[in-house]
Amino acid sequence: MAPISIPRKPLKLIDRVSAINWNRLEDDKDLEVWDRLTGNFWLPEKVPVSNDIPVWQTMSEAEHTLTMRVFTGLTLLDTIQGTVGAVSLIPDALTPHEEAVYTNIAFMESVHAKSYSSIFSTLCSSAEIDQAFAWSEENEYLQKKAQIVLDYYEGDNPLKRKVASTLLESFLFYSGFYLPMYFSAHAKLTNTADVIRLIIRDEAVHGYYIGYKYQRGLEQASEATRAEMQDYTYDLLNELYDNEVDYTDSLYSSVGLTEDVEHFLRYNGNKALMNLGYPALFPAEICNVNPAILAALSPNADENHDFFSGSGSSYVMGKAQETEDDDWDF
Amino acid sequence: MAITDSTATATSTATATYNPSTDWHALNAMLNLYDEQGRIQFDKDKAAERAYVTGHVAEHSIVFPTTAQRLDYLIRNHYYDGKVFAQYSPAFLDSLYAHVESSGFEFSTFLGAFKFYSSYALKTFDGKRYLEDFPQRAAAVALELAAGDENMALAIADEIIAGRFQPATPTFLNLGKAQRGEAVSCFLVRIEDNMESISRAINAALQLSKRGGGVALLLSNLRELGAPIKHIEHQSSGVVPIMKLLEDSFSYANQLGARQGAGAVYLNAHHPDIMRFLDTKRENADEKIRIKTLALGVVVPDITFELAKAKKPMALFSPYDVERVYGKPFADISVSERYDEMVADNRIHKTYIDARQFFMTLAELQFESGYPYIMFEDTVNRANPIAGRVTMSNLCSEILQVQEPSTYNEDLSYAHIGRDVSCNLGSLNIAKAMDAIKGLGATVETAVRALTSVADHTSMDCVPSIRRGNEEGHAIGLGQMNLHGFLAREAIHYGSEEALDFTDMYFMTVAFHAYRTSHALAVERGRAFAGFRASDYAKPAGQGNYFDKYTDGRRSLEPRTDKVRQLFAERGIHIPTVADWQALRDAIMQDGIYNQNLQAVPPTGSISYINHATSSIHPIASKIEIRKEGKIGRVYYPAAYMTNDNLDYYEDAYTIGWKKIIDTYAEATQHVDQGLSLTLFFPDTATTRDLNKAQIYAWRKGIKTLYYIRIRQQALEGTEVQGCVSCAL
Repeated sequence: MAPISIPRKPLKLIDRVSAINWNRLEDDKDLEVWDRLTGNFWLPEKVPVSNDIPVWQTMSEAEHTLTMRVFTGLTLLDTIQGTVGAVSLIPDALTPHEEAVYTNIAFMESVHAKSYSSIFSTLCSSAEIDQAFAWSEENEYLQKKAQIVLDYYEGDNPLKRKVASTLLESFLFYSGFYLPMYFSAHAKLTNTADVIRLIIRDEAVHGYYIGYKYQRGLEQASEATRAEMQDYTYDLLNELYDNEVDYTDSLYSSVGLTEDVEHFLRYNGNKALMNLGYPALFPAEICNVNPAILAALSPNADENHDFFSGSGSSYVMGKAQETEDDDWDF
Repeated sequence: MAITDSTATATSTATATYNPSTDWHALNAMLNLYDEQGRIQFDKDKAAERAYVTGHVAEHSIVFPTTAQRLDYLIRNHYYDGKVFAQYSPAFLDSLYAHVESSGFEFSTFLGAFKFYSSYALKTFDGKRYLEDFPQRAAAVALELAAGDENMALAIADEIIAGRFQPATPTFLNLGKAQRGEAVSCFLVRIEDNMESISRAINAALQLSKRGGGVALLLSNLRELGAPIKHIEHQSSGVVPIMKLLEDSFSYANQLGARQGAGAVYLNAHHPDIMRFLDTKRENADEKIRIKTLALGVVVPDITFELAKAKKPMALFSPYDVERVYGKPFADISVSERYDEMVADNRIHKTYIDARQFFMTLAELQFESGYPYIMFEDTVNRANPIAGRVTMSNLCSEILQVQEPSTYNEDLSYAHIGRDVSCNLGSLNIAKAMDAIKGLGATVETAVRALTSVADHTSMDCVPSIRRGNEEGHAIGLGQMNLHGFLAREAIHYGSEEALDFTDMYFMTVAFHAYRTSHALAVERGRAFAGFRASDYAKPAGQGNYFDKYTDGRRSLEPRTDKVRQLFAERGIHIPTVADWQALRDAIMQDGIYNQNLQAVPPTGSISYINHATSSIHPIASKIEIRKEGKIGRVYYPAAYMTNDNLDYYEDAYTIGWKKIIDTYAEATQHVDQGLSLTLFFPDTATTRDLNKAQIYAWRKGIKTLYYIRIRQQALEGTEVQGCVSCAL
């Protein structure tokens, strides 16, 4: 199967540009999320992934292949989201500040895509990397999910684009995120897991924000449109879920984790629906996530890490504030 | 040889099919999720510990029918060092092992057990089976420390198994084993401004990382970027390339993979490369200068604060010129004392930065990376009882000792062997030491003797300046942990008046017994540490003697609160009086003390998990701590003595705030001759100004060093995981 091509149609950008005034906010959420995203800025170079090399060498062939495949899959999704997804949301923005947030999201998605490459180049040989990328181009389920999402990005319905984007951010990534979280709970590739947790920290905010904007957009829509959008959302999730189950099986059956990952998929499917303002689809009994994964998932940056073996995922860009004369009154 | 071999191969966790009821990681993670009644599931963590120890560990352990057979097998197969065990009779070894193995020891937490078996326990060379449990490790450590003294071996083993005294990781990990690194925790090495010294420093970084713990190096003396070489201007590359060399050296060498090499570098705030030094930790630093794993520390004199207060620029002095003008290295000059003089001296090249801007940059970097550590140079030197100058600290910022520069010949051999530092650490569990049946004094005495034994049996031949420092000083660092756990168990809030009072009284009592023991050692060995006569310990009473603070009536030596008076009284622990101190002081003036340095309070990461103590003397980071490190992955850990009924006393460090933490450390600092690792905790809503305020306050309160800044960020509302203990405030 040929690799997915990125649409080359020129994006329709906004007609009129007015200077963005951050002192006149139409929606406070824009600034809140902007501050959070800029405060969370990071680059993969800060994490000493090379500390994972000794553990990587003790891992089995099957684990190596699985890891590389999972990460090529994630790279593909982040590439889509960085080059097409977040950018395609810009023309639909309701406020100029929302546009600014999308540009940040688009940029960070590219950082994420690059992070996987940085993990690859640290742990694997070029031949192994090429093989994994070849696999990602040939895996029909991965290609199918990329195609489904891309179709909606190319379509002309702003609300549908947001639904597709939220499902990507809050649902589709997680079949891949499962693996590094699982490894890290079992003392493997903990620095790689740090990178992934930084990515999860970002994706949690992205999914939440796009879902929030979807809900604001929906408020202005007619009753009929709302009903249509709800049906559409559940249909799309079901379609993606069926494909995701196949994709998961193609990845994880070799290590016997398929069932556990499926619980995790359903949990995140519900989470994505929650971000979009809809009730859960999957009953709680079949969303029983392995507690080690669930507890590792918290986007809170509160790990008490050991500085000598990693840099942790809790540091943020500082807010500079000058001291006053009173502070120096000693 | 009858060996119960119960397993064929160790199964890889990732290839095993997932089964939640036996997955100890899943059970342990439930600690971080509330049950349906909203209560913390402590029992799940204990279940995880049992599942792990009685399942995985038991299945992967080699069990021997008798102690003699076990020791014989381990020595013959080069697991244990035969020389250690040959010092004792087989009958004694039988009785000691029978004693420790019947202690009924169990780990209180999953993390304790998991950390012990993954990082400390002796394993077969293929890494697949365990050859030791906790009491057996404790016995091996005690046997080597006691060096043939049966009573001492028994006493040390008892202290360790009861959890009152826990040697630091290098000691506890290595002793008794045949294939091992050094028992010493950390090293401090000066670098002088010449290529021989720099080469020696890199050599020291490699050699010491191969054998022992963390290594700190002093960069303050090195000439700055653009300084002359052989009188030709603009030649030197400054400190940053040396940092890169050191960082790579530390990543290369590790103790048989047991511990990754770790290093720190210290630089004076008035060194011209200071901003470049800090910028190596920037998020967007160029790869060529970016420092990822090397820890940074800044040495800040009083004058920097004075300049910031006066809103003046601060002068950075060329170390190259300073050394030529004063005839001694930059670090050996007190910048505070000589500031005006050096500013006026045209022979010294200077650049200026804004002092307040400097502190703000410091804080910005701490937000981004947690670094740098800070050492308050003048506070440290005012409190230092030993003749000489303290110019740096170590990887955990609690070691503060004097050094002396070395000089080298062209072939890198020593022209003069100076003095550098090695330090042996171990910590008492405050709660358990307070409850000791034989008394707090006996526990302190055993601990000091055990640590001294490490100094006596260490000879770092690979770095002769360290060997000399150890031979002459026998310095040790007795630390403390579980302060918060103890206070909470006794229904005292961390940072309250009673808590401060307790910290003061406890540390004074421990100091008394530490000096008492070191004096006894000097009498037994017939000698004091080399610099004793020139130290404050030998000065006449009332004329700068170290113990004047206890004997001249400047403060009361009694508890300020009834609660604390009662805590000591009901346990029969005697708080030393003025008369006790006077008698000890006089005895010390006559015979000396054996150890040049006695106390240092380390951060106690790993060992406090094994021991189930709260770390060091700072507050818990979280009720359920999420611990992540290379060897163990991500694991959840409950605070010591916490139940669903006493949660009120377990406020976390972010909630307690920096002021109470600094106040607590200030109480302890007065009784500790070296330093204390003091981490400060801030929510991500704090600004650089908040960090600066805390630093100013710490400096004013007489704190000697500041260790990491930890930042906690809460999830954006709407993105958090529901029902998670560590997520809830």
